[in-house]
Amino acid sequence: MKNKLLAGPYLLWMVVFTLIPLGIVVYYAFTDSMTGSFTLSNLAKIGIYLPIFFRSIGLAAIACMICLVIGYPVAYCIASVGETWRRFLSMLVMLPMCMSFLLRTLAWVALLEDTGILNHALSLLGIGPLPLVRNNGAVILGMVYNYLPYMITPLYTVILKIDPKLEEAAQDLGCSGAQVFRRVTLPLSIPGIVSGITMVFVPAVSTFYISQKLGGTGTVLIGDVIESQFKTAYNPNLGAALSLILMVMVLICVGVMNHFSSDDIGEEMMPL
Amino acid sequence: MAKELIRLQNVSMQFDGETVLDNISLTINDHEFLTLLGPSGCGKTTTLRIIGGFQTPTSGDVFFDGARINDVPPYRRKINTVFQKYALFPHLDVYDNIAFGLRVSKLPEPEVDRRVMEMLEIVSLRGFQNRKVTSLSGGQQQRVAIARALVNQPKVLLLDEPLGALDMRLRKDMQNELKRIQQALEITFIYVTHDQEEALAMSDTVVVMDKGCIQQIGSPVSIYNEPENAFVADFIGESNILDGIMRKDYEVEFFGHRYQCLDKGFAKNEPVDVVIRPEDIDIVPPGGGYLSATVTNVIFKGTFYDTFVDVGDFKWLIQTTDFHEIGDVIGISLDPDAIHVMKKSQYSEQFGDYSSYSAEYDEMEEDPEGEADEE
Ligand SMILES: Nc1ncnc2c1ncn2[C@@H]1O[C@H](COP(=O)(O)OP(=O)(O)OP(=O)(O)O)[C@@H](O)[C@H]1O
Ligand SMILES: [Mg+2]
Repeated sequence: MKNKLLAGPYLLWMVVFTLIPLGIVVYYAFTDSMTGSFTLSNLAKIGIYLPIFFRSIGLAAIACMICLVIGYPVAYCIASVGETWRRFLSMLVMLPMCMSFLLRTLAWVALLEDTGILNHALSLLGIGPLPLVRNNGAVILGMVYNYLPYMITPLYTVILKIDPKLEEAAQDLGCSGAQVFRRVTLPLSIPGIVSGITMVFVPAVSTFYISQKLGGTGTVLIGDVIESQFKTAYNPNLGAALSLILMVMVLICVGVMNHFSSDDIGEEMMPL
Repeated sequence: MAKELIRLQNVSMQFDGETVLDNISLTINDHEFLTLLGPSGCGKTTTLRIIGGFQTPTSGDVFFDGARINDVPPYRRKINTVFQKYALFPHLDVYDNIAFGLRVSKLPEPEVDRRVMEMLEIVSLRGFQNRKVTSLSGGQQQRVAIARALVNQPKVLLLDEPLGALDMRLRKDMQNELKRIQQALEITFIYVTHDQEEALAMSDTVVVMDKGCIQQIGSPVSIYNEPENAFVADFIGESNILDGIMRKDYEVEFFGHRYQCLDKGFAKNEPVDVVIRPEDIDIVPPGGGYLSATVTNVIFKGTFYDTFVDVGDFKWLIQTTDFHEIGDVIGISLDPDAIHVMKKSQYSEQFGDYSSYSAEYDEMEEDPEGEADEE
């Protein structure tokens, strides 16, 4: 009983700031902006926005994979060095997060734009200016830069918990270094990979600021569209419908991923 | 004729300047069942890890089949290990754990299946193949660990306290089973335990270790009957260890009595440690020139009584099937083969008197002066 009471404040918080707003979103999504009567026309507009949905998911997925490829070795290193180094390195990973998200993204603009620092440096060598910003690449770069710590942190936590004796046991049974990684270390990191991907993919797929600052006209993301429905176009009903669809898509993606990974790994590892 | 398989030569191991193994030399023969026996922290696991290749000795050499293997990585050694804490793969079920080594060496799947099933049979885990290893009891996990190593039919199997988590009954069964497997498959076993009974029951050769040094290497019988120093005598079985003086070959004096013994080769009047096993002591009526003793405590042990007696101010332990009451005065008779004489060592004075010794007998009243004497 007591333990349940302790969860009370959190439950209250959830109801007031998550469930009720969610209810409002659902309500808006299914009502007409003029008459306020029930309608499916908002949701039906998904057809128009489908390419933007796919672009958002595509760019977020690419960013996710890059985060994983960069993040895994980093996390592995942090987990294998000694205590002091570990603390220093994980602080280094978290450090950019102490800065404002907006500031970080704007800094990249200053670095990459045609009159920016990089192009200026290149022009001294007689190169450029190169189109470094306002394209898909720059958006992906922005996502990777901003969300990389969210990939590294869960990975590092899980890798750190892998018993080094297991890697010894694999060696004992004939595995070379690469085989140890493939047969033991990697499968045991799956819970970290899953939560890392989730923590990068979810914010990346719904981001709008990064694409506005670093993307071009061709890189509008679904987050931008949703934002504009509330701010400029003023059609909150359509905005709500799009958010709802996005949410369902994200839930499906995460659900599928969790399903596949839990086949390979003991349930007791999952909460990590 | 026994053929040498593994040799440790002057092996030392240091961690952060602390010596954990001190100049160990040891030869292990093909098909031998060799046991490393010693108290916790004496370096047994470290010795195994050096043989397995998980640790490189600070100095000294390791030979396998005559070739130096200091720099050969573990996966290239024809050695498998049963780890002290099992180290089973939590992401694999029982079957896949056991099949792991066979699959790494790319055996065809039907062959893998045949050998895994055979192994499950041997360790009595048939029907468990699809269980998650994390859902098994400690004893079951231990048997999976044994199966996972054995299934590869290694030339040498290293076992680090493989039966530690089993209850008495299962432990005895598995001891027999391991011994049978070892003989049937002709695998060399290097076995670690701190259970002296297990070591004596299973091994061809016992290596007694303490504080990173080998104290004695020998057959179970010779280790028990002819311990080389007070540590070995005390660690293997129960023993009364007394101060004595070797008057001449085959004659030793203690408590003012001279006794015939079977030992020789000491200097005349050399101070020695004398070991008398509690079960070798004959109780006779007092007087008649026998050492006389007063019974101070009796503990019933099932098949015999642990009878504690005072001889002067020295407490002895006698194991006898006859009951004597506390306060009884008895005579002690010693045959020549009940007496074993050892050279003095760093361990002399530390062991032997049952008034100051042994957690097993802590129900006895402590003698604070005896404690102080140890330092
Ligand atoms: N990697 C290491 N770093 C530092 N010290 C170590 C290391 N491995 C072992 N030691 C130390 O070496 C000593 C011997 O350890 P070892 O594990 O060989 O003992 P053991 O005989 O197997 O004991 P037990 O019966 O408790 O398993 C211990 O004092 C231990 O603390
Ligand atoms: Mg050990």
